[in-house]
Amino acid sequence: MADIGSSLRLLRPWVGLGLLALALFAAVLETRPSLLGPDALALDRILLMHSLLPRAATALLCGAALGLSGALLQRVLRNPIADPSTLGIAAGAQLALTLAMTFAPALVAVSREGVALAGGAAAAAGVLALSWKRGLDPVIVVLSGMVISMIAAALGAFVVLARGEYLMSLYIWGAGSLSLQSWDAPITIATRLSVGVVAAVLLLRPLAILGLDDAGARSLGVGLLATRLMVMLLAVWLAATVTAEVGIIGFVGLAAPAFARLAGARTPRQILLVAPIAGAVVLSITDSAVQLAGSGFADLAPTGAATALLGGPLLLWLLPRVRSTDRAPAGLVAPLSMLKPSSGNATPLLLLAAALIVLALLVGRGPDGWDIATGDLFSELLAFRGPRLVAAGAAGVMLAAAGTLMQRITANPMASPELLGVGAGSGVGLAAVLFLVGFPGPILMLGGMAAGALVALIVMLIVAARSSFGPERLLLAGIAVGAFSMAILSAVLAGGGMRAYALLVWLSGSTNRVGPFEATTALVAALVLAAPLFLFARWLDILPLGADVGRCVGLKVGRARLVLALFAAGLTAISSFIVGPLSLVGLLAPHLAARFPRGRTRLAAAMLIGATLLIGADWLSRIVAFPYQVPVGLFAALIGGPYLLRLLRHGDANHG
Amino acid sequence: MREHGPLLNRRQALAAGAALLAGTAWPKGAVSAAATCPATLDWAILETLLAIGAPPVAATELVQFRDVAVEPAVPLSVTDLGLRGLPNFETLLLARPDIIFNSNFYASSEPLLARIAPVESLSIYVPGKPPFDAAVEMTRAIGARLGRAEAEDFITRTSDDMATLSARLGGRPRAVLPINLGDARHFRTFGADSMFGAALEQLGLVNAWKAPTSYSATAPVGLEALAGYDDAWIALIGPTPREVGPVLARSAFWNALPAVRSGRVLDLGPVNPFGALPAMARFARLLVEALVAKGRGLG
Repeated sequence: MADIGSSLRLLRPWVGLGLLALALFAAVLETRPSLLGPDALALDRILLMHSLLPRAATALLCGAALGLSGALLQRVLRNPIADPSTLGIAAGAQLALTLAMTFAPALVAVSREGVALAGGAAAAAGVLALSWKRGLDPVIVVLSGMVISMIAAALGAFVVLARGEYLMSLYIWGAGSLSLQSWDAPITIATRLSVGVVAAVLLLRPLAILGLDDAGARSLGVGLLATRLMVMLLAVWLAATVTAEVGIIGFVGLAAPAFARLAGARTPRQILLVAPIAGAVVLSITDSAVQLAGSGFADLAPTGAATALLGGPLLLWLLPRVRSTDRAPAGLVAPLSMLKPSSGNATPLLLLAAALIVLALLVGRGPDGWDIATGDLFSELLAFRGPRLVAAGAAGVMLAAAGTLMQRITANPMASPELLGVGAGSGVGLAAVLFLVGFPGPILMLGGMAAGALVALIVMLIVAARSSFGPERLLLAGIAVGAFSMAILSAVLAGGGMRAYALLVWLSGSTNRVGPFEATTALVAALVLAAPLFLFARWLDILPLGADVGRCVGLKVGRARLVLALFAAGLTAISSFIVGPLSLVGLLAPHLAARFPRGRTRLAAAMLIGATLLIGADWLSRIVAFPYQVPVGLFAALIGGPYLLRLLRHGDANHG
Repeated sequence: MREHGPLLNRRQALAAGAALLAGTAWPKGAVSAAATCPATLDWAILETLLAIGAPPVAATELVQFRDVAVEPAVPLSVTDLGLRGLPNFETLLLARPDIIFNSNFYASSEPLLARIAPVESLSIYVPGKPPFDAAVEMTRAIGARLGRAEAEDFITRTSDDMATLSARLGGRPRAVLPINLGDARHFRTFGADSMFGAALEQLGLVNAWKAPTSYSATAPVGLEALAGYDDAWIALIGPTPREVGPVLARSAFWNALPAVRSGRVLDLGPVNPFGALPAMARFARLLVEALVAKGRGLG
């Protein structure tokens, strides 16, 4: 009885918010423009019955499904920032749709939903298969999911780019528009959701036990692996259904359980009860808001993009109120140390880098086939190949440095420049410049991006400063800022046109437009920002051990984190100008350098690996689909992603 | 290998180094004689070059162009430079153009283009400037730069064609809503500042879309907005995503729309939405043919 009483108490704030959602929907009905023409009345009725009502129902159902999915994933992965997108479900679904529309349109005509569902499920299955050997260890699962997700996103962006602007529908769909014309979508989601709720209730007891560590859960007789797998499959299924029906609805799966916890939910049962309600209310309010703020029949922004617009700042506002202990999250440090430091022999690496530089400068493809450039032709082509090579190498160094910094500051192997939110923030700066100036030149674009990165960084620092940069808080702040920035970018992309096209080119990450200006900028930035990091090698070794250890050895932890975070932000902003925010190099290079001894050697190795990765990727991007070029960000992901996945899969079992 | 001997002599190395640091560019107006080998990244310029019988040595995204813009036909001699957003500069260099026509859409590529050949910037879609006048101006400028009288002939021919098409409509001022379906729920529409808007004006038709647009188009617009256009013809500009048809066929709202019920939907096929005079002429021809065919069918 006490349990029911406390559950009711937990629901109280959501009743109020639910009433607000209802009032907003009433306002939508009341304020919507009246239809014109002689058939206005009949059409209006059809709109109400076949568009507005199913849309409202879809918002509630999608929010609930995503909230439940997020709560299940966060529980099973024991990771407060896990969400359907960390498993690559959304990115997988979108990639499948993009590929099908390009290569097999008939398949999309038969079942758009089926294609998206297959893609989302395939991505999730890939993540599970890759982490199977490691007993579906939560960290490995999320890490694999993020790598797969980024590969899918990069591939998808390339295909959209290759098709030109005519995939307007993909932008809209990708950003999650809830505008509907029938009851098909809400009915489908409702059936899936009710099955999901029943299954979640049945899984409540094993879920409660999962909160214990692995040894404790096993001794209680729970088939640990089987339970985790079932819970994850359920969550994936719910999220894939939503993505298939209405597109990517960002943030709700992440926010709903977080809001539930903030509103007082503690036990798995409470969180599972409250998260779907929180998700439904949040999505319903957002959907009404975009309709009210829009003009005529056009929404202000696609609902999926808007959820992150509302949710990002909300999470930032709530962060200082989250009680947390300042310690490295258990289990998250493992992958960094799981790879045993071995020989520090860098000779093969140096030889590879040198060979790639020669290849990149001499070998190319022309209309007549393969070509080794010599003499006059060489010097002519050098004017194009040289700056690309320099910029790619410098960007690789900077991303590797930024990634190393982030992973050390947060003691979190998933941390990367992308998660800091600064890369996405610089994209917003770019979008702002594109809006203010129709067709900006490179200096304006770089200025806008630097400003955007700086704003994202400042917002993040202000939020995080109150807690002297606890690892989880910094990462969460970065994710919120990143989600907010990406939401703005999605809204611009959804608008289509040349602005969207310019942003898409940047998002996919290409060195193609690099000239002497960009190359010089990248080189100087790499020297100024990456070289001083070698002075901080001791900080980098101490910080992951936690604030207490740091203070014991006399390190001013807060200040050290602040200095390193500033460097990481600057490195991210400038490198993302060159290769876009999608590149995996910031995440990969530090991992690939893990076999080198700690400290300066490992930092240098990471930078060398970063440069090698991007130079190699840049060369391949030029020749693989000649004369069509593949963005280098994509190639970095395609080269490095599988290697990291292999490392994770065959990871050394000796932790520590 | 194309050449023998040392990979790079000292003079070349120095020149290359200087080029890397300083960025050599062709001085503006250095070439005064008429150019003969143009190249471009922009589809509107590509269309125009093809229409005046001066095919470029290289242009972008020819695979898509043949599907989306359809005409004028692109000869096989034109080298494909790859994506408009990611043009292959090395291939452009090897195509050895003597003039590159560029537009404001690709302004960010200009410094690199200028290292290959002199660049001349000609833009149609500029805020506050009617695109039709700009397109005529552009056609003339290209003709003058290449020393081709055919440019003037093409402008005259286009204007004659538009007059002939207008006459076929019989002077009834009908309202047309030019749209492009993105998916089964959203469309993109083209305003007075688009080439489609210009075509409607010259045909003596009325563009039903009155709201302001940004760079000639507004997107995405919800399908609901179509209810207000009860007496307009809906001109669907292709390509329409293939899965849209079946969804609309089942949509209660779509089928209840006045234009759909009374058969006032015209399926025009693909037209380049950011084109020049050739795209305008193609749109006008397809639209008038569709209107005339419907008129006959309706009696």
